[in-house]
Amino acid sequence: MTNAIEIQRLCYRAGRTFEIKDLDLHVPPGAIYGFLGPNGCGKTTTIRLMLGLLRPLAGGITLLGEAVPRDVARVLARVGCVPEQPHLDPLLTVRETLGFHAAFFPTWDWPWAERLRAKFELRDDQPFGRLSKGQKGKLMMLLALAQRPELLVLDEPTDGLDPVVRRDVLSALLEYVSQRQATVFISSHLVHELERFCDWIGVMDDGRLIIELPMERFKNGIKRLRVGGTPATPDNPPFVLLAREPANGTGETWLVREWEPQMAAFFDACGVPLHQVIDLDLEEGFVELLRTFRGPRA
Amino acid sequence: MFRVMLYNQWKWSRLIVLLGSVAGFALPIVSVQGAARADASPLVPAELLRTVQSWGVLYPVLAATLGLLVAIATWTPDHRGRHVHALLLPVPRWRYVLLRFGAGATLLAAPILAVTAGALLATWSATIPAGLQGYPATLAVRFALAVLVAFSVFFAVAAGTARTAGIILALIGAVIVVQIIAHVASVDLDLLGKLQIVILNWPGPLAIFAGRWMLIDV
Amino acid sequence: MSRTRWLLPFLACTRALYGQDQSDLPRLKARADSLAREWRRANAVANAIDSLERTRALAGRDTIRVGALTIVTNPSPLPLREAAGRAWPVIDSVYGDDARQLAHRPYAIVAVDPDTTVERPPRHSGIEVPWDQGVASLTQLLLSSVPVAPADTALQSWLGGPLRPLADPDAQWARVYIELVTAPSHASRRCLIGDIGGCRDALDLAEHGDALLRWYPSPPERQAVVLKSSAYFDRGAQLATLQTCAHGSDSACTRLLRSLPPGGLPRPLTYDARATLIHVALQRGGRAAYHRLVTSAGLSIADRLALTGPVTVDSLLSLWRARILAARPAPGALPPLGIWIALGWAALFAACGLWSSRWRGN
Repeated sequence: MTNAIEIQRLCYRAGRTFEIKDLDLHVPPGAIYGFLGPNGCGKTTTIRLMLGLLRPLAGGITLLGEAVPRDVARVLARVGCVPEQPHLDPLLTVRETLGFHAAFFPTWDWPWAERLRAKFELRDDQPFGRLSKGQKGKLMMLLALAQRPELLVLDEPTDGLDPVVRRDVLSALLEYVSQRQATVFISSHLVHELERFCDWIGVMDDGRLIIELPMERFKNGIKRLRVGGTPATPDNPPFVLLAREPANGTGETWLVREWEPQMAAFFDACGVPLHQVIDLDLEEGFVELLRTFRGPRA
Repeated sequence: MFRVMLYNQWKWSRLIVLLGSVAGFALPIVSVQGAARADASPLVPAELLRTVQSWGVLYPVLAATLGLLVAIATWTPDHRGRHVHALLLPVPRWRYVLLRFGAGATLLAAPILAVTAGALLATWSATIPAGLQGYPATLAVRFALAVLVAFSVFFAVAAGTARTAGIILALIGAVIVVQIIAHVASVDLDLLGKLQIVILNWPGPLAIFAGRWMLIDV
Repeated sequence: MSRTRWLLPFLACTRALYGQDQSDLPRLKARADSLAREWRRANAVANAIDSLERTRALAGRDTIRVGALTIVTNPSPLPLREAAGRAWPVIDSVYGDDARQLAHRPYAIVAVDPDTTVERPPRHSGIEVPWDQGVASLTQLLLSSVPVAPADTALQSWLGGPLRPLADPDAQWARVYIELVTAPSHASRRCLIGDIGGCRDALDLAEHGDALLRWYPSPPERQAVVLKSSAYFDRGAQLATLQTCAHGSDSACTRLLRSLPPGGLPRPLTYDARATLIHVALQRGGRAAYHRLVTSAGLSIADRLALTGPVTVDSLLSLWRARILAARPAPGALPPLGIWIALGWAALFAACGLWSSRWRGN
């Protein structure tokens, strides 16, 4: 089966300094894909390109098998979106906003929308412009879910929300995904939040995708190794050496990717003492990854 | 879709539409007040024509104002949301623009109907001297077309970005500057006059606004 | 001909001297004869000069003839033949048999370069026309300067100008309709609603009564007429009277209007209305109608029109009024394709909304 999102050699430029260059991204169907990256790295721009809000300079984007921006109107009928900023008409009440949105989506599910509205404790007669930030976030998620999309594209949906609201929003999302096996593409810089439910991870920095792999491989594969001495850089190691740096004057700390336990034998064969293999959580791994990605160029 | 779009725009335009309708209804009635009286004086026709003509200036002004304000109100919800919501709806852009245009034009039907009703009432209630006739239908059709043209002009401008508006203003400014320079340099160039002729004479885009707007005429 | 004017004082002198002394009579008579001979000689010289100038002006001239209409002109790109083709039927319909005079009274038209800055010598004959003129304006020129012997001064005075063919009859009749409807005169109002006596009064065809009271019988009308001509009264001793009139004094208004010189009272219906009436009579009267009109000088205008018709003046006025009512101008609203043009522009501008860069996903 084709990927839910397929981006190939995507190029885009905004102004003189920012560019996305040769971006390749693949989101398998049914995956919950966490899209990580520091602020200003191009996550939102990539999402805007995916949704047809921006036009790429080069490259191809396919969502649910349809090309964007060529078939964007057709694609959007199957995609639920939560943009970074709430953008709805401030004069319309919650009820009117639901009615407006429902008119454009043939798959709109009113009972499900009503259940979500009750769950999110949103009042029918409250104008969108007078909702709190948390209420706006809930309404945005409600709109995205109630149209019964096959793919959800969420750009920092919980950014700035308090923990209670964040939990409500994410639980509604997970409930929907578990029911419908929908694909979710969620961008965030709240790494620990994504760690809990994403099964794929993509990390972006400075307009480039640094890494894209299943969450398990990411979490298990990135290790910090403490090795003795200052050995020469090994030829053809079975892992990817991301960085090495002196540690306390007695040895070095290596940051490696795609590590597996049996690879300790490689150090024995090289005669390099491997003192310790340290597990990193997603956030540590993300930070280390960024650091090594930026290091050589700095 | 059209219904929700119409409702959405109604929330933004209702004050304009209501005030425009009241003004549109009142204008024809006020324009014949006093002049169209049951008086056999030979001075009445000329006085009536003069009065109707002087009030008639307000019809194109009202049409242009309504077109401008409703066009702005039409795009305001989208501008507020930086067009993100509109662009994320699963409809082709041309259809969305058509929905917005259609909803705006539909709302403008209210002041047009008000002018029609006011004109009919004014013509019916006035004592029109021999030799003169009332033209409520012609006036209403002309008002409707003027409102529609004004709305579509401002609709197009308001749909654009600030850059588009800047380009339009820069073009107008450039014409004025060229005209001033030509005047200072004593060059025989009447750019503004030529533009006026092109724009305000048939089949120019704003020709519908030019000429006399007479509810009662010969 | 203007060169002969200097001779007139001499002739006047001879008449003045005539009565001085009977003994001097033969001598003075001989002197007068001598002066008369001089005058005839000078006249002949002046004619010769005029003829020479005309010949010079029209050197290498063309003669254009359409019907009896004759134009002598120099070669130029002016579309005179087309203009003559348009003007002749109109002239013929007005002057009838008398239009044949045009064969002996040619138009002399001097076509000149409109763009040249070279100063031209003054001309004493012929009409200078820039050669970039179109057929319509040339036709207008031919119609407004028909070289037929002019009608008498009584007719011109009543008419308010020389009788000319109607260059744009539809527009002229429409103007008369507006004039009839809007004239601030009770007489014209009566005429509009069907009272032929009112038409007679408004057109000054009634032979009795005070024109002021016939045309403007009510005080508001008289006040309106004075205020309309306030620029004329706004000076000298009349200023105070004007102010009194403006404040509503009918006697002041009447006094001002009566102070106008003969024929100076503003007419309720002006040249166009009167000219169209004559044209009705000419059309009704056939090819000899114009001849009857010009040869009936001495009769009242009403009688002359009746003779021209030849029907009663009331019948003419009825015809005239019916024609005016039929010429009611269309209200100046929309041209025939105006609705479609406006809708087209609206659609075009609406489409420009689609063209906005916002919608192109840039």
